[in-house]
Amino acid sequence: MLTGFCALLHKDLTLERRGGRVVIELCVLSLLVLVVLVVAYGPETGGRPESAAGALWVALILSGLPGASLAVAAEHENDCLTGLRLSPLEPATIYAAKVAAVALSMAVSQAATLLLLVLFFNLQFDLNLLRLIPILLLGTLGLCALSTLLGTITSRLRAGEMLLALLTAPLYVPELIAGVKASAAVLSGASLAAVVLPLKILAACDLLFVVCGYLLFEYLAG
Amino acid sequence: MRPSLGAAFAAAGCVLVPAALFMVFVYVPTEASQGIVQRIFYFHVPCAWVAFLGFGLSAVAGAFYLFFAQQVWDDIGYAAAEVGMLFCTLVLITGSLWAKPIWGTWWTWDSRLTTTFILWLLYAGYLLLRAMGEENEQVARLAAVVAIVAVLDIPLIVISVRLWRTIHPAVLVTRSGEHGLEDPRMLQTLAVSMLAISALSAWLFWLRLKTLRAKSRLFELRRMLATAQAIGDGAP
Repeated sequence: MLTGFCALLHKDLTLERRGGRVVIELCVLSLLVLVVLVVAYGPETGGRPESAAGALWVALILSGLPGASLAVAAEHENDCLTGLRLSPLEPATIYAAKVAAVALSMAVSQAATLLLLVLFFNLQFDLNLLRLIPILLLGTLGLCALSTLLGTITSRLRAGEMLLALLTAPLYVPELIAGVKASAAVLSGASLAAVVLPLKILAACDLLFVVCGYLLFEYLAG
Repeated sequence: MRPSLGAAFAAAGCVLVPAALFMVFVYVPTEASQGIVQRIFYFHVPCAWVAFLGFGLSAVAGAFYLFFAQQVWDDIGYAAAEVGMLFCTLVLITGSLWAKPIWGTWWTWDSRLTTTFILWLLYAGYLLLRAMGEENEQVARLAAVVAIVAVLDIPLIVISVRLWRTIHPAVLVTRSGEHGLEDPRMLQTLAVSMLAISALSAWLFWLRLKTLRAKSRLFELRRMLATAQAIGDGAP
């Protein structure tokens, strides 16, 4: 199982290294979302951790959904998903590898988004930002687990990207609330205790989405 | 004409709905602190119960559809989700009507209200998927998965008034564990309202299921006809 997982992940990462399609699109989308939000908030937003945390998570969702859709849609070209299903790999392994590949692409774009956030929102560029990493990683994993599961079918449909957003965004709301709270607490320099509960909610939602995806993927990819 | 289960639901609804209206507006005493506005509670709670029942049934039918791949489970899941969505919308509307005079606002981002609204959004997505997606097995499978994942929000709604600080009243079972309806007539009225709304929703579900079953049968006949024509065209 692990060999198959690594092989699939390697395949996706090689494709991404050669083309860089998903990462570049995610970075550009994140940049656009941040610019739009900064313009919409106005110049007085500089240094406000609540606004910055909100913007960070809006960028994560708005760039993550098309990114996941793009990654899953690649498997439909030449009916690659059927090819994968015909291989001896478990459907759950295919799902895990797709989630890992999308999550890695998103993590790279998240690093770029964080740098842009510091720049646009006039935040302090210090070690405090490192505390955002576990929060963002958990948020990214949840979004990838959910959007990869649902995107498996929506990417084959007309208006599939819109349907993916309509289905994923409400399910992601608990993670969004917890993520924004935790990020705002970190950016305002609050103690670790303020972040513990949101982190637990993020981890619980991630576990739920990953387990659901792991169990249900075979019915969608069939 | 052969009597059907749908006719039984309709008959029960015809008796119980007027009885519930009489009890809510005439029989039950007015609650002391909230006044006449509290009477909306006798519609609000049964609507919530029926909505949760509908969404629960949709998830169970979704799971059966994934395991057994029989069209009837998909039709049951779809019909149940539609009925659940109708009553969930009524829950949000009646809740807002009650909230304006009591809380002074139509809506607040309280934990129970937010989790209920998320449930409504999830099933709005489910119904849009059904409306916008093609009539095929893949969409039905995705809808089943969405119904199963979305139903996980219901336990969260139920326990939200105990998990988080909230202004939503806990009437049936209070936060201290007692039931909050002091007068027995209030409990009787709630019971009749529950039965009335349940009968009404069961009738609506039955009507919708019959329509969906007829539609599925039509698709099946069309598919068989197309296969027969293809075989006929290929014959020498």
